[in-house]
Formats: sequence, structure tokens, C-alpha cells
Amino acid sequence: MRIILSFICLLVITFCSCQKVINVNLGSTPPAYVVVGNITDQPGPYTVTITKSVNFDQDNVFPGVHGATVYITDVTAGLTDTLSEFVTGMYQTHILTGTPGHVYKMNIITSNQNFTATSTMPQPVALDSVYTQTSIFGGDTDVVPMYKDPVGLGNFYHLLLTIEDSVSTEIYLHNDEISDGEEVKQPLRNNIKVLPGNTITVELQCIDSGVYQYYNNLQQTEQQNSATPANPQSNVKGGALGYFSAHTVRKKSITVH
Amino acid sequence: MNKALLLVFLLLSQVAFAQKTYTISGTITDKATGETLIGAAVSVDEKPTIGAATNEYGFYSLSLPEGSYTLHISYTGYAQYTEKVTLSKNYTLSKPLSSSENQLQEVTVSSKAKNENVTSAQMGMNKLDVKEINALPVLFGEKDVIKIVQLLPGVKSAGDGNTGFYVRGGAADQNLILLDEAVVYNPSHLLGFFSVFNSDAIKNLTLFKGNEPAQYGGRLSSVMDIKMNDGNDQTYHASGGIGLISSRLNLEGPIVKDKGSFLISARRTYADIFLGLSNSATTRESKLYFYDLNAKFNYKFSDKDRIYLSGYYGKDVLGLGDLFGINWGNATATLRWNHIFNSKLFSNTSLIYSDYNYNINVNTGGINASLLSVIRDFNVKEELNYYISPTNSLDFGLNSIYHIITPGQFNGNISVPSQSLTHSWENAVYITDKWKASSKLNFDIGVRVSAFSVISGTNNYYNLDQNHNIIDTLHYAPGTIVKTYLNPEPRISGSYQLTSSSSIKAAYSRNAQYLHLLSNSVTSNPTDKWVASNNIIKPEVADQVSLGYFKNLKDDMYECSVETYYKSMQHEVDYKDNAQILTNAPVEPQLLSGQGRAYGVEFMAKKNEGRFTGWISYTLSKTELQINGINNSDWYPAHQDRTNDISIVGMYKLSKRWTVSADFVYYTGDAVTYPSGKYTVDNQVVFYYTNRNEAREPAYNRLDLGATYKLKQHKHFSSEINISLYNAYGRENPYIINFQTDPNDASKTQAVQTSLFRWVPSISYNFKF
Repeated sequence: MRIILSFICLLVITFCSCQKVINVNLGSTPPAYVVVGNITDQPGPYTVTITKSVNFDQDNVFPGVHGATVYITDVTAGLTDTLSEFVTGMYQTHILTGTPGHVYKMNIITSNQNFTATSTMPQPVALDSVYTQTSIFGGDTDVVPMYKDPVGLGNFYHLLLTIEDSVSTEIYLHNDEISDGEEVKQPLRNNIKVLPGNTITVELQCIDSGVYQYYNNLQQTEQQNSATPANPQSNVKGGALGYFSAHTVRKKSITVH
Repeated sequence: MNKALLLVFLLLSQVAFAQKTYTISGTITDKATGETLIGAAVSVDEKPTIGAATNEYGFYSLSLPEGSYTLHISYTGYAQYTEKVTLSKNYTLSKPLSSSENQLQEVTVSSKAKNENVTSAQMGMNKLDVKEINALPVLFGEKDVIKIVQLLPGVKSAGDGNTGFYVRGGAADQNLILLDEAVVYNPSHLLGFFSVFNSDAIKNLTLFKGNEPAQYGGRLSSVMDIKMNDGNDQTYHASGGIGLISSRLNLEGPIVKDKGSFLISARRTYADIFLGLSNSATTRESKLYFYDLNAKFNYKFSDKDRIYLSGYYGKDVLGLGDLFGINWGNATATLRWNHIFNSKLFSNTSLIYSDYNYNINVNTGGINASLLSVIRDFNVKEELNYYISPTNSLDFGLNSIYHIITPGQFNGNISVPSQSLTHSWENAVYITDKWKASSKLNFDIGVRVSAFSVISGTNNYYNLDQNHNIIDTLHYAPGTIVKTYLNPEPRISGSYQLTSSSSIKAAYSRNAQYLHLLSNSVTSNPTDKWVASNNIIKPEVADQVSLGYFKNLKDDMYECSVETYYKSMQHEVDYKDNAQILTNAPVEPQLLSGQGRAYGVEFMAKKNEGRFTGWISYTLSKTELQINGINNSDWYPAHQDRTNDISIVGMYKLSKRWTVSADFVYYTGDAVTYPSGKYTVDNQVVFYYTNRNEAREPAYNRLDLGATYKLKQHKHFSSEINISLYNAYGRENPYIINFQTDPNDASKTQAVQTSLFRWVPSISYNFKF
């Protein structure tokens, strides 16, 4: 359906239209806390970032929140790690090791607000291969990762695409609702020009359902094709934007011929 | 409601004791074409307070005490007919009127009895004759009745490239759009650049702004009742037009002279040839066109029986080679039987079919599949007009519609389960009494009782918890009535004539709506989803009160009116935050419902006659919603809330050959949700939203200019050239505003506005023989 909408827009815009940058007075709003925390099944340390939002007309400089107390508990193993602030607003673990199947709980205490979040690291799924094909739209190149979904519903995937040094800004997601137990070949549409000799890397993350919902909402927010845009529903409780994700990581790189 | 019924019975019993009266009745037509005239006035010199108007099939009935009378039959733009009658028995007077105008391009802004706007009890209504719009500027050379309706007070355009409109704060899906009684679910072609109504085939249009008579129902905000031409039953004619991106052809003529006629009207755009000029291969391979066909046949079996068969078929096709395509369109068919039981009782029986569907095809990457979505109605209607006495007439009838919605049916080599059909059955009975209580006081008192039954097919029904999560899936045997909603809808309006040229009017009405359009994009889209009320989605109900003052000046040359309204709505539906709409999952958990309120004041001044005609309309209004779970459950502006809305329309007849015209619109921008800040996640800038519909689009304004030049007329052939310039001063009105990181400076963000249509000139050639 997304493809249809963008196709329609393309035709409308080709037909007769013009674009210009305008000034919209969006006013100012009290800054909101933004929490981003990741635990993976790769060796640590793992990082939690706490920043604040800024007004639309300000520069893209997002102030870090200094002096928060951050704990992450491996609930399954009964182990709590107190994170240290190594750069303003960035906090690092010391002793945790991400393990599939374990439940992780994050606690943040700031000067005026407390946040908590829980995430369960799923079992990893192998990334079998990565290849390229010509996209049906506009002759761009799609990158296609191939992986086998394990039998049983409830697998959620988040993929990251890097071509040379550019990370695609698209959010790639998949769930096994209609492809349970099947081999998944998911074309990753992107706007990056792929040239022979380029190195392409795909990272396959297995995420839990709360994080999947977050990214799914985020994708919709970023596309701005909804009449009623809203902030993504976060798995962080206490009124913060962002997410806390315990996920597995499998990567593969290829060189384009 | 009981009181209203009691009143009706009292009035009926009163008739039995009335003095000896006889009835004059008949059908009024155009002499040259045989087209029935709707709303022609029948007046009597001896009884200046008594009169009749023809109904939508040209029939009138007027009862008078025994005696001698001078009767006038009049219709604007036609020579008045006068006859002296000595009434000692029932009398049939069917009269063809001669048009006093030149064909093709007369500028007339009124099609009704001259002061009907003051005298009738009906308020919140506008009538348009298609002839009225001939001289107005157009976009791409296509005359469009919906674009003209958007210039009326209380009616707001949904924006450039959109045939959607908002009436008195209602959403676009709260308008009942009827073409020869059949519901048209999507009135737009080419994503809204044009409406589906080919003006060659249209006779007239009546818009009721929430105070519609009880014969109409099913939508909260308005009824747009469009009647097709019947076809000339005297001689054969062809007319047409050739424009820059489309052409039209209209054929009509008698089947049997004076007894029956046909009309066929067709239209096709060729906008896609311009795509071939594009630099982009993708654009060159694209398909982008629409066509439509209107056809109508009618035949008079006797003086008392007439059959009409009319239909519409239209299709839009968008595609990209064989890889991808989407097409959509409406199809309607109406079979009607007019029967005159006697001079006082007129009946119309209709069988109506309407269908809207869209089909998406994808043939790429090993996938060859299609998705079909359909909404289909089967409709039976019986309407009776009973002209009891000169001061009393009754309209009553019943209506039964069976709706079948196919939300999404997948075909092809993919294993996506199709969604089950939903069935529902909408029934209504209604009665309206049009009562002249005195020479100054008129009432229309009516009630419609509607019932909507949700009928189980193979589809599932759900129970939701407080957080709108599905907690239970319910199955019923096919054919089971899952739920029935019953809504009495009283409709009352009254007018009191202050002087011969001024009146005050008041009205109250209730409307119920059982079908809802879910659209989650800022622009209209052929794939917006119609859903029927069910155990979770409740029928929307609106109560509207309105009050108005009407005044005509200089022998009805000028019409002025002020109307105010307050409307309260229940069970308004909106999406919850982060609703997932582009999925195959049940839609109920994505919706929230609450209440709405709309109020405003509408001013209109109109000049109906003379070389200069036109109108100014201004609306000041507010529309708000209150839905638990949105904006902390506070009242917030609805998307279509617009504080100010001004339209100015003028036509000036320069000479016998030249007519020039202009229209100007200005309105407050829509209430929209814009980011109020930004933050960063995964090294991306993400926009931060606070409250829904808190921001405003920039105000919209536009001026259009038009000119019509009549070419030399031959005996049987006339033609004209129409030139127009849409958006004459090239205002860049927003179509979409997107927020993004500045491509030239990654440290900044910016708002980018996309506009359509700056300075769109067009020229078209119209002919008739």
C-alpha cells in the first residue's frame, strides 16, 4: 500500500506542481526526554543515551542529559549493572553480557523524572545470504537479504543497510505473520546509488514485539503520510521518547560486481 | 415525535370537512427538449397566497375551491404561460414552456420560483441549474458542478486537487451524493482533480445542508441530489466539447416523439499523452486517464405512467507498464416508475444499484497478484406525494438498502487471506407534511425512522477491552442479525413571512449515518475504506438547529440571507495515535469514537438578473471534536475546522457574444498536526508531536478568470469558445507540507510545501446541433 501511495504522489507531482521551502511558525515546546538503550548478543559494553528534544527551528544539536543514574538488570540471571557516564548523556555497562532468551530491565533516575523499560532478547536467526537486484521502481538497486524464519509465530526483525559508509535512513522491518517458517527474501528499497565495487553490509536484528511496534510506529511517523501523526509508542515507561531493545545481531557483507 | 404524528392526523381529518374543491394537476416540460422542469411555479391571481411547484419529475397538483381563476405557470428563463380556468371538475393542465433564452450560454442564476427562497419553509438549501455554471471559469476546461457547490456558503472545498467538500463542519464522508437517486461513493476522478459528474448529462443539483426533507437519510451533514437530463423527446441533437485534456460528446433524441427519449453522454481524458513528454522513463510508461458514460432512457406508457432507466459507468486507470496498476470507478443504475394514481396522488417506485470498487494489480518480483475492494448497494424505494389540499401535502414512503462491502479480496500467487464480506441492511420509513398554516406561516414537519441491521456473513466480530485490544472473537451463523440500530430522525422546519419579500425560518433535524469512510491521509485517496456500523462501530448521529433571515430586494433581483446553525454529533470516529491502517488486520482496535460540535453563521448576497449576476458568500464557523484518548480527552479542532471562508462569483455579459466571469475564494487553512519539536534516535532526526490538529495550514486564496465567446450561429448549429485561467495570480496554495532535514545543511530542518496548479490556462470548444 505504501508503494501505491508514493506512486500516486509521484504522478501528481510530475503532473503539475511546485515545491518551495516555507516558514511555518511551530512555536516552542518544553523539552522531552529521549532514551535509547541497546543490549545485543555481541560483546559489550552496551550504551544507553539520554538526550532532550529541541524546537523545530533550532539546529540539530540535541543536548545530552548529564548526571542520571542508570541501571540495567539481567532479570533472568539476577545481575544488576550500574552504568557510568563516559560522555555527557551517554552511559555504558561494565559487566553485562547479552544472552538470547534473557529479560533485561532498564532503570533511569534523573533529577526530576524516572523511567523504566523491559525487553527480552529473542533467539538469533542466521542471515544466510545477501544479493542485489534491480528495483521495479526507477531502476535503482535493491539489496535482498535471505534468511529462514523459524517455525512458530512471533518472530520480529529489524534490518540495517549500509552501502559503503552510508547507512540507509529507511526503517526495514519484517514479521512472520504471513511467512511463518518460510525463507524470507526481503528487497530493501533505498535511495543510495549502488556502484560496482561497493561494499554492502546488512545487519539482521531479532527484536521483541515491543521494539517492533516502536519501529513500526516510527516508520509511520517518518513517512508523514498520516493525517494524524503521533509520537511512536515507546516501550520506555515514565514519559520518555525512544526505546530500549535487547536484540541479537547477525551481519553479512558483499561486494557488488 | 408523537406530537408531530398527532398533528398530521389532525390535519388529515380537517381535510374531510373542507369545502368542495377541485384539483388542477399536470406535468411541466420544456417545449424544445421535452425535459421536465423541476420547481416550476404555478400561481393563481385570485389566491395570491396559494401556489404549487413541480416536483422532481415535473408534476404538480393544486387544489382550489370551485370558481374562476387566472393561472400562471412560470420558470426562470422561460416565457410565462397564463390561462383562465373555470373550475367545476378536476382539470389536467400539462404545459410545455418555451425557453426565452438563447441556447448554450445564457447566464441565469435562478431556476426556481422567484421568491421561493423567502416563502418556502425549507432552509439550508441551494439549487443550481447546470446552465448557471456555463460561463464560470473552469480547471482544464472541464465544467464541474461540485466545484461550483464549493463556492456556496457553508460549503468548503477540501482543497486543490480534491472534489471532497465539507458542509457545516461535517467530514467529506458525511455528504450523501446521489445521481438519479443512486449513491455515488467516490465522486472524484484523477485523484480529485475532476468530479464524476459530466455536466452535459446533468439537469440540476440540489444541496441540503443538514435540514434535508425526511425522504433523504443516511448521512449527517448534507445531501447533494443530482438529476440527469431525460433526453430530448422532440428532435435529435448532438453536443460536445473539445478541451486540452479531455473531450465530451452528448447525443439525445426521441425514441418515439412526445413519448420517449434517450440520452447518451461520454467523456474521456487524454492527460496521459503529456506523460509521454516527460524525461523520466517511469513517467513515460505511466497510464493516467479516466472515462465515463451516462445513459438515460425514458418512455411514457400513458398519461399516468412513465418509466425511466438511467445509468452511470466511470473508470479511472493509473498504471506503470505491466508492473503495477490501480483502477477505480463507480457504476450506478436506476429504474424508476412514475405513476399518477389521480390528480392528488403521485407515486415513484425506484430500483437502484450502486457500486464502487478499486482494484490494485502488481506483477513483479515473482508476485502476480491483485487486491479488489468493493462496496455495493441494492436499493428499493417507494415515494408518494399526496396533495391533500391547497394548504397541505404529504410526502411519505419507504426505502430498503442492502449493503455488501468487500474490504479486500486477494487473487494471484500470494498466500494472503482475503477479508470476509460484511453485509448490512438499512431500512427507513418517512413522512413529511408540508403545511401552510396561514398565509404567512409555513411548516415542513417530518420524521424518518431508520433501522440498520448488521448481518453476519463469514466475517468475525470482536469484543474489545478498555484499551481497544481484541479480547474475544465472535462468530455467528451466516444470515444472523448481529445487531440492529433504530433511530427516529425528526425533521422540522418553519418559515414566517415578515413582508412579501422577507422571512425568518427555523429548523431542527436529526440525521443518522451508518456507513463511515476511514481516511488517514491528508489528501483524498481512491483506496480510502468504507466501513459499516457493527457491534463496535456505532452509528453517527447529528442534531442540528438553525435559524435564518431571508430578504429579497428590487423585485427579487437580489437575494440576501443569513443563516446560523449549531450541530451536535455523537459517535464521531477518529484514528487513535499510531493507528496501523495499511494492514489486513481488523480495523476496530485502531479507532476511537467521541462527540463533535459545529456552529457558524453563513451570509449570502446574490444577484439573479441583469447583465451582471453573481454572489458573495461568507461563513464564520467552528468545528471541534472531543474523543477520549486524543489530546488528553480535551476538545480539539476537527481537520475541516475553518474559521473564515469567503467566495465571490461574478459573471458579466459584455455583449451578445462575450461573457466574462471571475471567482475568488479565501479560506482559513485546515487544522493539521505539525511537529512541535525534534529529537534524535539512531542518529536520525525524528519529529516530536504534541497535540493533534493544533497547527494551521497557511490560508488558501485563489482568483480564476474566464471568458466565453459565442461563434456565429447557424440555423441548427451553435458553438462557443471558452477560455479560462485558473489561479490567475499564481498563488502557491499548499497541497502537502512535509518536514525534513535541509538537504544543503544537515544541521537544520525545514518545511517544504508542495503546491498544485499555478496559472492553469485552458481553452475548450463547445458545440451543439
